[in-house]
Amino acid sequence: MIIDWYTIMFQIVNFLILVFLLRYFLYGPIIRAMDEREQTIMQREEKAAAQTLEAENETRSYHQKSEKLQQREEEILEKARVAAKNEKQELLEQARREVDETRHRWKEELTRERETFITELRQRIGQQACLIARRCLQDLADSYLEELIWDFFLKKIGELPEEECASLLKASVAGDHKVLLRSAFDPPEAKLNELKKDLQKIVNDPEAGFHLSVKKDPALICGLELAVGGYRIAWSIENYLEDVEDQILKELEQAAPAKQAEEVPGSGERGS
Amino acid sequence: MTINPDGIILLEWGWFKINATILFTWLVMFLLTFGSWLVTRKLTSKGTLTRWQNLLEVLVNGIKGQIKEISRQEPEPYLPFVGTLFIFIAISNILSILPGYIPPTSSLSTTAALAICVFVAVPVFGIAHQGMLNYLKQYLQPTFFMLPFNVIGELSRTLALAVRLYGNMMSGTIIIAILLTITPLIFPVVMQVLGLLTGLIQAYIFAILAMVYIASASKTHQEAEKKGEI
Repeated sequence: MIIDWYTIMFQIVNFLILVFLLRYFLYGPIIRAMDEREQTIMQREEKAAAQTLEAENETRSYHQKSEKLQQREEEILEKARVAAKNEKQELLEQARREVDETRHRWKEELTRERETFITELRQRIGQQACLIARRCLQDLADSYLEELIWDFFLKKIGELPEEECASLLKASVAGDHKVLLRSAFDPPEAKLNELKKDLQKIVNDPEAGFHLSVKKDPALICGLELAVGGYRIAWSIENYLEDVEDQILKELEQAAPAKQAEEVPGSGERGS
Repeated sequence: MTINPDGIILLEWGWFKINATILFTWLVMFLLTFGSWLVTRKLTSKGTLTRWQNLLEVLVNGIKGQIKEISRQEPEPYLPFVGTLFIFIAISNILSILPGYIPPTSSLSTTAALAICVFVAVPVFGIAHQGMLNYLKQYLQPTFFMLPFNVIGELSRTLALAVRLYGNMMSGTIIIAILLTITPLIFPVVMQVLGLLTGLIQAYIFAILAMVYIASASKTHQEAEKKGEI
């Protein structure tokens, strides 16, 4: 008999027991372990994903911060650059101003020195011119010229206007009829007498005794000066020469600024 | 030479007797249970796995995958039954390389017992899955007249299941026995290797067919569910 029913029944029971045993010793624990591991892996993956996300966020935030910092740095640098540029500009301006000022001052000084020099020169020229004239006249002066001068002086006294005469009279009274005559030459006696008479005529007192004192003064070039108290009558070539000198100086002064005005623009262009 | 291990009676006490089939079945059962207990008592779900745990996980996961592929359902309810079929048959067959060992699967009683288990399991799973009425209606498909043929089909496939495994395993043992008398050197070893392969394939076929039958019993209901959803 190939089929043994006893054995079949035994084997069915055996198999069912085996199913039961394996269920509790093999499938159950193994599946549980696998599930647990799967769960663990899932959790780990989720955690990793969360951490990755966090890390990404952090990275992004760091990137943003870094960009902001860079931007800020650039801004600061730009500001510093602008400030430096302005500072440079200002310093340059200041230096230029100082240079201009110095140049201006220097130019003014130069101008002043030149002016002083020119003025001095002018005065010297005038004085020299007059000195030459004076010497010429001194050399030329002789008795004839002296007489002419006396004549002219006496004539001038004789033709004094009335108010002048009154002033002279007042001065004479105040000065106790003291008369000082300054002359470049020794005056001739005749002329002195004439002068006395003229003075007596002016004061309308023929008896008036004038105390005439004479003082020789070569500085009065070919000239005469009469001082009665505070009153003074004079004639001399010196006066004319002084006039001439004044005139010459005036002419030179007028000519000099015109010349300077022409020169200044040229020097200014060279400075810039 | 004994063809049927049922005939080797080792212990007899009244009606109770222990033959070689039962003894070797117990041996396999002990090996499987003890081995499983040894490995699973210190399972870990974290860190490094032991190689034995890894092996068992691969095995269980492979069976689960196969069940899922065939039934297109969650494999958990079928796993203990189908998985045990495969493991029991595979280990019984593989151990045949040990001298003195007679695989229990080479006894028609064992294969018949397994086939009967499948025969019972099909309606059990079918009814559990889709209810008694729906399951019984299956026998009337497509018409009432098909009932006898359906019943015959059910019986014949159980018979085929039993005989297929028995035939293959018994033939393997017999072929080796015959070859040993003709060419006692080397060639039986090759045949033995081939026998290992055949044994594994038979275990796979038996388990897969069992699963197919069980799946077909719960399939109609599934299709109806799908139609309802559509």
